[in-house]
Amino acid sequence: MFLQHPMKPKIVNRSAVVAVLALMFGVISSIAMTQETPGAQGANEAAFFRESVLPILKSRCYSCHSHQSGQMEGGLALDWRSGWVQGGARGTAIVPNDSNGSLLIRAVEHSDSDLQMPEEKLPEGEIEILRKWIQEGAYDDRAVRPVVSDPLDWWSLRPLVAPAVPVLAANSVTRELAASTQGPINPIDAFLLERLQQEGLSFSPRATSRELVRRLYVDLHGVLPSPEQVASISENPSDQELEELVDRLLASPRYAERWARHWLDTIHFADSHGYEHDVGRENAWPFRDYVIDAFDRDIPWSEFIRQQLAVDVFAPEATELLPALGFLGAGTFDLSTYSTGPVTFDYMDRDDMLTQTMAAFVSTTANCARCHAHKFDPIPQEDYYALQAVFAGVIKGDISYDPLRETANRRAELGKLKQAVLARDPAGLDSELAQSLVAQWSREHRQIAAWKKLDSHSFISLEGATLTKQEEGVILAGGHSPDTDTYVVNGTVDLPSVTAIRLDLFPHESLPMKGPGRCQNGNLHLSEFVVQVFSPGAVEAKQLKIARVTADFNQVDWGIERAIDGDPKTAWGIHPAVGIAHHAVFVLEEPVEWSSGTELTVTLKQLHGGSHLLGAFRLSVTDAPEGDAVALPAEVETVMKLPLDERSEEQKRLLSFHFLQQAVDIEMKKLPAESKVYAVGTNVSIPTGNGARQQASIASPKPVHLLHRGEIGKPEQLVPPGALSVMSHAPGRFEDAVGGVESQRRASLADWIAHRDNVLTWRSVVNRVWHYHFGRGICDTPSDFGRMGGIPSHPELLDWLAVWFRDDAGGSLKKLHRLIVTSRAYRQQCLHNEQAQSKDADNRWLWRQNRLRLDADSFRDSILAISGRIDWRMGGPGGEHFTKQPGPQSTPKLDYAAFDWSRPEGNRRSIYRVVWRGIPDPMMAALDFPDLGLLSPVRGFTASPLQSLVLTNNPFVLHHCKLLEDRLSAGGKSISEQVRELFQLALQRDPTPGELEVLIPYAQRHGIAALGRVLVNTNEFLFIP
Amino acid sequence: MTGIRTRRSQSTSGQVDTGVSGVDASGIHRREWFKQGGGGLAAIALSDLLAREAVGEQHHRAKAKRVIQLFMTGGASPMDLFDYKPELERLHGQMLGPKDKPEGFTAPAGAIMKSPFAFSQHGDSGRWVSELFPEQAKLVDEMAFLMAMTTKTNVHGPGTYMMNSGFLLPGFPCLGAWVSYALGNLTDNLPTFVVLPDARGLPYNQQGCFSPGFLPAVHEGLVLNATSKVPIPDLYPDAKYSFAQGASDIEGQSLLRWLNEQYGDGKVGDSRLDARLAGYELAAKMQLSAPEAFDLGSETTQCHKDYGIDKPVTEDFGRRCLLARRLIERGVRFCQVWSGPQGATNNWDNHGNIQTELPPMTQSVDQPIAALLRDLKARGLDQDTLVIWTTEFGRTPFAQGSLGRDHNGGSFVTWLWGAGVKEGVSHGQSDDWGYQAIENKTWCYDLHATILHLLGIDHTRLVVRHNGIDRRLTDVHGHVIQEVLS
Repeated sequence: MFLQHPMKPKIVNRSAVVAVLALMFGVISSIAMTQETPGAQGANEAAFFRESVLPILKSRCYSCHSHQSGQMEGGLALDWRSGWVQGGARGTAIVPNDSNGSLLIRAVEHSDSDLQMPEEKLPEGEIEILRKWIQEGAYDDRAVRPVVSDPLDWWSLRPLVAPAVPVLAANSVTRELAASTQGPINPIDAFLLERLQQEGLSFSPRATSRELVRRLYVDLHGVLPSPEQVASISENPSDQELEELVDRLLASPRYAERWARHWLDTIHFADSHGYEHDVGRENAWPFRDYVIDAFDRDIPWSEFIRQQLAVDVFAPEATELLPALGFLGAGTFDLSTYSTGPVTFDYMDRDDMLTQTMAAFVSTTANCARCHAHKFDPIPQEDYYALQAVFAGVIKGDISYDPLRETANRRAELGKLKQAVLARDPAGLDSELAQSLVAQWSREHRQIAAWKKLDSHSFISLEGATLTKQEEGVILAGGHSPDTDTYVVNGTVDLPSVTAIRLDLFPHESLPMKGPGRCQNGNLHLSEFVVQVFSPGAVEAKQLKIARVTADFNQVDWGIERAIDGDPKTAWGIHPAVGIAHHAVFVLEEPVEWSSGTELTVTLKQLHGGSHLLGAFRLSVTDAPEGDAVALPAEVETVMKLPLDERSEEQKRLLSFHFLQQAVDIEMKKLPAESKVYAVGTNVSIPTGNGARQQASIASPKPVHLLHRGEIGKPEQLVPPGALSVMSHAPGRFEDAVGGVESQRRASLADWIAHRDNVLTWRSVVNRVWHYHFGRGICDTPSDFGRMGGIPSHPELLDWLAVWFRDDAGGSLKKLHRLIVTSRAYRQQCLHNEQAQSKDADNRWLWRQNRLRLDADSFRDSILAISGRIDWRMGGPGGEHFTKQPGPQSTPKLDYAAFDWSRPEGNRRSIYRVVWRGIPDPMMAALDFPDLGLLSPVRGFTASPLQSLVLTNNPFVLHHCKLLEDRLSAGGKSISEQVRELFQLALQRDPTPGELEVLIPYAQRHGIAALGRVLVNTNEFLFIP
Repeated sequence: MTGIRTRRSQSTSGQVDTGVSGVDASGIHRREWFKQGGGGLAAIALSDLLAREAVGEQHHRAKAKRVIQLFMTGGASPMDLFDYKPELERLHGQMLGPKDKPEGFTAPAGAIMKSPFAFSQHGDSGRWVSELFPEQAKLVDEMAFLMAMTTKTNVHGPGTYMMNSGFLLPGFPCLGAWVSYALGNLTDNLPTFVVLPDARGLPYNQQGCFSPGFLPAVHEGLVLNATSKVPIPDLYPDAKYSFAQGASDIEGQSLLRWLNEQYGDGKVGDSRLDARLAGYELAAKMQLSAPEAFDLGSETTQCHKDYGIDKPVTEDFGRRCLLARRLIERGVRFCQVWSGPQGATNNWDNHGNIQTELPPMTQSVDQPIAALLRDLKARGLDQDTLVIWTTEFGRTPFAQGSLGRDHNGGSFVTWLWGAGVKEGVSHGQSDDWGYQAIENKTWCYDLHATILHLLGIDHTRLVVRHNGIDRRLTDVHGHVIQEVLS
């Protein structure tokens, strides 16, 4: 660098930013004023400068040192004479006639280790030219500061004002429109017709009823209509009839499933991480269901934005909506974040979130400003890092939530109580809930159960330790101390029934640290406690279910419930309370009737390792009522033994706290288990493959620095959270969010995006919707409204729609769909017109409809539908259309070809398919299902021999052709009737006599399945005009 | 067609983009254009939709027409194979590495570790090669070595992406996809870009390494199962679907053509319809020719022996090298052969013990690679085929544990062979430990630029606009490495 970058103030004054931006991003005017008329010598110099020197400066230096690039690093501009004369912080960059004394030459020669620029050294020839130029006086006729225009002077950034709807000159089309509509002409048609009329063109004739119904079903539901659905609309439907059809279609959940898929494409949602460790996310689907539900309920667009970015802030009470945060978890994630590359992937992960957010909601490529200011759009590098800072407080992984608000409230209340109890805060006992729980507990646990020692007649160690019986029935382990062990104790007792079993542990001089365990630190780990009973005459033992377990003491994270969870990897421990007695009480689910000869077998599995074994122990049983059979800490037991009236206030409080603690735990366990969704949070559980998980948490947002050229090793100033500073509707930096809770940053961005006056947001969404209806957006780069994106074909229409959607439709997508699909433009035919074709081959002015090809999902869903097999069930975990085996590392091996298509998970709509990011389904990929490693605002089109092979031979297609045959051949219909029905199912029309002549013999020779295979491969099946 | 299928800018609105970006706005960006999937596609040539070769495509005269890329998954150790470092012997056992764990290392650096393998010089070029590559050592005079390859990461996933697509992130087209996009096919009988993964599994990033990214799906690397009788998926209907076999299939093809022709009648201005028709014609051709291409039984016993298909250790890689030769010979444009799956074993990621983990890998590839090169030469295919041997990064000169080596993006080796390659030369040099590239550092950008150059493509002009950026395989970097060109 020419100088050390001065530390910028933490919060940048907005007006200053805008002023700088105005300088940085405006279009350079091409004024080239000369200082004086050059003579012959001057003419040579001028030519040398223009032809040899300037190209080098432009290609090598301008990207960091010019007004146009938005960067004047070190304060140096090299795009006009005064720029280098004045120089940057190191002073004058060029000293005419003294190349050795010029900083520029030192920099490009890389002779000074502090001053090497550009990073990649210039070829010798270019350095020689610069040297010669300076040596000969550094002729430079760029006398005027490059003039820049307003950075907001770009179609997508201009103020959003609804233009007046054009009033059309009367002609045949307007008369037709006026005749068919009662009210005024659809504004969409007015804007489009105005443009068409300027070119002497007009709309194509109205589509036929069949064409329109097919188009509406595929467009709005993503699946072909049934023949009955086509037939139910009259030949020449009235506007009202069509509007009713549209309303029905929009009211159906099929609509929400179809349009949710578009959104999932746009934000690259998938069911696995991607990258090297392409691990499945079994809890990604609740976000998918959230999107479907949001579309179904048609929540306002601004709410959709706020919920996905920060529903935890905007509607904390609506816990059922928490899956909305899956939006930020939609993209790729590299597990190396937690191993080999923590810093790199931290930045990459936030890059993924911000790229997605800005592309999806505001059609902006903010990610292009990572290494330097955006080359084309008014986005300084600092904005990029401000966006990184928005997401610096969250990490991706599964978060927990309660789909029912009552559960969430109860859980929160109990959680608060537990905190108070743990803190022994007397106020905690005052609440109504606390008092009722204590009262209930006191009623149920009136006295201490009487325990009878188990009369054990056999006790063995499976690993060969020596177990000996001591006084009072205590069994002591000694001798060989194995790594793990399992004790089996057999015994009997004289009681009418048994309701609970008690395990006592005792200290003993022979044990390390006096025990009660055999581990060096006196601890033990009881992995599983299994109880079996032999009734007299029984041929086999019966395992008894344990309903509840308590212990007088639990090691942190090694609670007693781990001894009955069936998982040999988890266990009970008592560290650090060693050297003293402990006990646990196991309450049976049902009391066991006892008769003489009944035998009890208790298996004590101690599988943790490290000789975490029981040292001295005893088993007892009781027939006391369930409530009394409970393990109590020694001091509680002491108080319990006192008569009620002898207990002091302090002792009563001690009891209350103890009761409450037990009661809260029990009440907590009664709650339904929390649901999980793969999203972002501050405390998450990350699937790491083969069923394993890793916990991760983040205490506070990480500091985000601007990185010089995007390099991790070159951090510069800290950047506060924010968004695009050039926009004027709201502050570009979220100053209030600094220092507060993390979620405030996301909420601020949500507010910034969903703001009524964010001109990008509203243009973006209406254009995206338009894109899916017509096959191309009014701006044909739906996720890029910048200077590298497309130019809108009808900017006034776009603005009118944006304002109408925001204000009149209240952000309702369904209203927007309705407006679009009831327009005359949407309802025209896809008809060739030589004159129009010659003027507008691309059909940008919409003189006809566009022919849409069924996308991968619609193709698959339509085949399922016509085969009669589709399962319309909504929601829930996705179906895997592959077989899955463990891979060489965490990524599994998937085999799509081995999937059995008769399995039920193959029946459902494609939106419920598990999408593995790095291992795509070959059939879906052949039909251009996108690589969801990247954002996919538009689907592609390919036609290739491989696609043809897949569509004719893929087992999915063939399996369902066979089902189609089974469906049609049932009922003993004639082959010609079956052919007709097949045609109706696939193409929703009758075959022509000419077609029948060819098709019937083919079907007779090879069957309906073979003909079905041909039909689903036709262009007529795949294309919807 | 004039020139390669690349345009600097798009004009989709019928109006000329006013060139705010300073980008030449004269051309129509056909490829990007039909990706939009819209209606009027009159302007798109059928060959574009089908990615068929058109005449006179190249930016300049091509020296190579086809490419075989051999990719060693896991990070092949340079200082145990091609990059001889006597200094490591002198410093063996000393703790000289970085104190903190560098980003991307899996563990803190251990002591300097010399190579446990003997090195000797080979050929007129006097190239040092370790005892692990005895067969390739005999061919070093035909190879050009890039001795100072370097990369941006020490992590497998991004590293493998980078060497394939030039980016650390998913979603970018790989080299093979770009070549397919730029040049189209050489034959209608076989796919253009095929991938032969290790029989034990896919490399890091799974199929992300063969992705077409934002290019049309037709440019995706087709993954072949070399041990299957039908290596191309869905080439034929499974036998259990009896209704789709034999005459039903053949007559069905004619019926489909007839129906499609009828449907297309009068639908002017939409080349997608014709493209799908042509797709079926080409598929039928592929069904006829592919079995012959995959039939290794027609090769001599000696040939099988040469490639090591007769021995368990070389069988899998040998079979795939032979298949690569047959496919290239029959017109496949780009063929990638991978050694090693992802994961902790059976690949070149030798963290635990270089002495025991590396030799099984080298033994599995050395003879097949040498056989492939000799075979290509004997058949004259070396005149227009380029072979590349590479990996995603190198390994540390420091021990991991006491016997293994950790990831190191600082320096690694790649060699080129065949059409247009200068024989017996090397470019670049690593430091005395083989830790960092120091002289003529070579990035994937330079390697990719050089490969494209040999194929007749100027890497700065192979451009596709995507989400607001004019994307290149070489991003904004890349220099053709003249020193290795003949």
